[in-house]
Amino acid sequence: MKAALRDWAGKIFGSGRGSGKRLPFTALFSRFQKILELNNRVLELMADMGDKLGGDYVFDRQYIESTCQQMSDLVSKLIYNLHSLAPRKYLALNDAFSRINSEIEEELAGRLVIPHTDYVMRYELITRDFADVVGGKNANIAELKNQLGLEIPDGFAITTRAYQSFLEHNNLVEKMDELTKSWSEGKLSGKDASDNIQSLILSGTVPHKTRKAIENGLAHLQELSGQKHLNLAIRSSARGEDTEHTFAGQYLSLLNQPQENILNCYKEVLASTYSPSAMQYRQEKGFREQEIAMAVACQNMINASKSGVLYTLDPLHPERDVLLITATWGLGAPVVSGKVRADQYTVSREPPYETTAIDIVRKTESLVPKEGGGCEIQSVPQELQTSACLSDKEIKEIAEAGFLIERYFKKAQDIEWAFDQNGKLIILQARQLNIMRGFTCSLEDICSLVEGYTVIFAQKGVIAQNGIGSGKVFMVEDDKDLERFPQGAILVARQTSPRFAKAVRKANGIITDIGSTTGHMATIAREFKVPTIVNTGIATERLKPGQLVTLDAEANVVYAGIVKELLYYRFSEEAFEETYEYRLLRRILKKISPLNLVDHLDRNFVPQACRSFHDITRFIHEKAVEELIDLNYHHHRDPEAPSRKLQSEVPLDLVVIDIGGGLTEETGSETVRPEQISSIPMQAFLSGLNMPGFWSSEPMSVDFGSFMSSLTRTFSSNLASPKFIGQNLAVISRAYANISLRLGYHFNMIDAYISENINDNYAYFRFLGGVTDQTRRSRRVKFIAQVLAKQDFRVDLRGDLVVGRVKKLALNVMKRKVHIIGQLVAFTRQLDIKMDSDHHIERFVEEFDRLMKKNDRANKMEGTT
Amino acid sequence: MNTGQKTTILILDDEAIVLKRLKPALEKAGYEVETFTRSAEASDRVKQRDFDIVITDLKMEGIDGMQFLTQVKDRSPSTEVIVITGFATMETAKESFQKGVFDFLAKPFKLGEILGTVKKAEKKIQEKR
Repeated sequence: MKAALRDWAGKIFGSGRGSGKRLPFTALFSRFQKILELNNRVLELMADMGDKLGGDYVFDRQYIESTCQQMSDLVSKLIYNLHSLAPRKYLALNDAFSRINSEIEEELAGRLVIPHTDYVMRYELITRDFADVVGGKNANIAELKNQLGLEIPDGFAITTRAYQSFLEHNNLVEKMDELTKSWSEGKLSGKDASDNIQSLILSGTVPHKTRKAIENGLAHLQELSGQKHLNLAIRSSARGEDTEHTFAGQYLSLLNQPQENILNCYKEVLASTYSPSAMQYRQEKGFREQEIAMAVACQNMINASKSGVLYTLDPLHPERDVLLITATWGLGAPVVSGKVRADQYTVSREPPYETTAIDIVRKTESLVPKEGGGCEIQSVPQELQTSACLSDKEIKEIAEAGFLIERYFKKAQDIEWAFDQNGKLIILQARQLNIMRGFTCSLEDICSLVEGYTVIFAQKGVIAQNGIGSGKVFMVEDDKDLERFPQGAILVARQTSPRFAKAVRKANGIITDIGSTTGHMATIAREFKVPTIVNTGIATERLKPGQLVTLDAEANVVYAGIVKELLYYRFSEEAFEETYEYRLLRRILKKISPLNLVDHLDRNFVPQACRSFHDITRFIHEKAVEELIDLNYHHHRDPEAPSRKLQSEVPLDLVVIDIGGGLTEETGSETVRPEQISSIPMQAFLSGLNMPGFWSSEPMSVDFGSFMSSLTRTFSSNLASPKFIGQNLAVISRAYANISLRLGYHFNMIDAYISENINDNYAYFRFLGGVTDQTRRSRRVKFIAQVLAKQDFRVDLRGDLVVGRVKKLALNVMKRKVHIIGQLVAFTRQLDIKMDSDHHIERFVEEFDRLMKKNDRANKMEGTT
Repeated sequence: MNTGQKTTILILDDEAIVLKRLKPALEKAGYEVETFTRSAEASDRVKQRDFDIVITDLKMEGIDGMQFLTQVKDRSPSTEVIVITGFATMETAKESFQKGVFDFLAKPFKLGEILGTVKKAEKKIQEKR
């Protein structure tokens, strides 16, 4: 209805196109240029903000606020400029902008913004990225299965969205806010506040949609287990629980509950969010009440034959360097709460994880699931009372799982495990184990303690992710090395590559010779929190395969051997990732950086589908080019700026708009041939683009052709299709050219001014990778950066974005530079093939050089004959 | 440190996160560190004890960082002051240097940068001794 009104209004009052007052093309074009500039600034700011998550920067709240403000200003200016290019056409962008911007403002104001998700999520679909939605416990345990392949109970999460909807449905938000406020102001005792809130929750009803979703979740569990009736474990999984703060034992877990009790159990667990001790704990930890949101775990109850707890480090005596396992018969709850005596095993942390001490106690009773629901205490048969629960094999199995989890979460772990009736090891829960700081060496002593170790190199590179890790050096040269990458090794490579993603989760650290903190691999290392130093220049030369090293990606030092003091310091330290400011920036970036609008041909490529500022930016870029072409080529709006389609050998689908002296007089009314272009930079660009061997794979030099065919082609056949050549645009005058090209999924932008006046001359080239897989993009981007640098461009490389600049060079030199850009644009089109190894980048650079020289020779010969 | 005595550092910033990040990083590098979020308390502290190095933000509630560093320099001219600020302008930088500030870092900065600056300040102090 709104849209229809808008259309009608457009027809009556004029929507700008073909009616009303006409802006001259030059005015439109300056807005277009503004859009390109703003686009670049948004991408740069986004990369800089992402970089801050690596931990090497000290940033404060004021930084977050001011960069959000800048970001929001840039994006709103982008929208404004698109509106003036295409009045009223993309008004829905305003709504998208306000929606995203107000979400960011809500975050800044400290209010929780729960992403739009389902009420229930199956474990199969959960990753740690959903921690805000499914809570820490669910996110951690699902990750163990989905990322590490460990066995966990089948289950689903009732999300924080369901919690929010429960509160709203029962009108509880304000009442609870008032109660917590009175409590924090000291007007109400903790117990009274807690009692009031809990009874509000328990007397509420679960909304219909949530009930339906829970029923579906149950049906799925029944299907998985092949059983019609299930007993469930229903456990708390609060946002923040088990990931950043343990909240150990603060919230409720209900065991062996018949499925028909699920809604009541759900409410009971929700109510436990406001137990007096939980409220107290949050206050002490500096958690803000607005950050609280309770998700709930519903798991198929495991009928354990034996259960227990694993600490991957002795929390009181970490220096003993051992794992501690406690075990008992039946369910583990009594061990967790310390109610019964249990067997204790001490296991060395060094492979092959020998058991160094066993303490077997008399276990007279065990907790077992009761028929019909709940649990009961049972006597343990005489012969089992004094026998050890665990075999050597089982101990090793538990230890290995423990190390896997510890490395993954980068902290010592407190793990609840069980063996089911078939002897299968099942992980029930994993959370960070807090190590007493006083028992490790104190921070102040670290400095002198580490002095005894040999430094291999220090202050050589840039920290991409902070942290400390040790292990054996493993050199990665190609993809095969990645397949062989051993658990817990230190990845050492010449260049960074997003392909390392495969190995990153197994790595204890990453060190490279070359690379940037804003590249893709850095982003991945940050995701997995693997300590990473890039751009050291000397890592592959100084480090030897198999050598034991410790990487301190905080002080920027690589030590020979294992520096235990540092490793334990890592365990005891409060991680940067646990600070409120880090969590805030990360949450806000989720509304800024992800790119969801991928394919411009997709029906969903509309303003309404924009979910991040990146989406809006991408959408505007695409549409701005389209609009300029549409207005001036298809509608011939401004006679002062004639538009022609370029007829060239390469299928460019390029519209040329002349704003003064860029075309010779005798062009056709619809088309123009390359030789009719008199714009100096445009000519130089096209001459490069049309050079033999660069654009098309036919004809191609024999050796290069065979080199190419040795690579796996994944994309090239598509490239022939006009669908992948975008609508392209060049705005030119005698001395100026602004060229926007979309080839495949990537964007090229060239802006150049070439005249006799050296001081006015410049050429700017921007390449923005598309949305194909990150590796291909990043290798292509690196290749471009290397070629540009070799040609003396000033090069700036950030993520998908390469910018090359030259200025103030003589006319002929400038022409040559733009000619090379033309060659590069043509050549990179061929690079939509799988580059398996970083070595290929150098091969391509060499091949590019060779082709260039060959063409230069041919040109010279032509000139002399 | 080879002098046996640790170099002492006071940090004042009204954003606790800055202190939370700087304190362990500097302690790990072997310094003795005290931190304050309130300028009044920092101000009282420097009356009791001279620090080798003072790191302060400029814009804070209560007394202004510029006032604080003036006070520090007046009391103990040998103390080296490092200014950290999110509102870096030429004017504030100029004013700070006129007041004898050792260095001026714009926020956000890298841990390595502040450590480097602290090391340089320490060296200057040792040379003076």
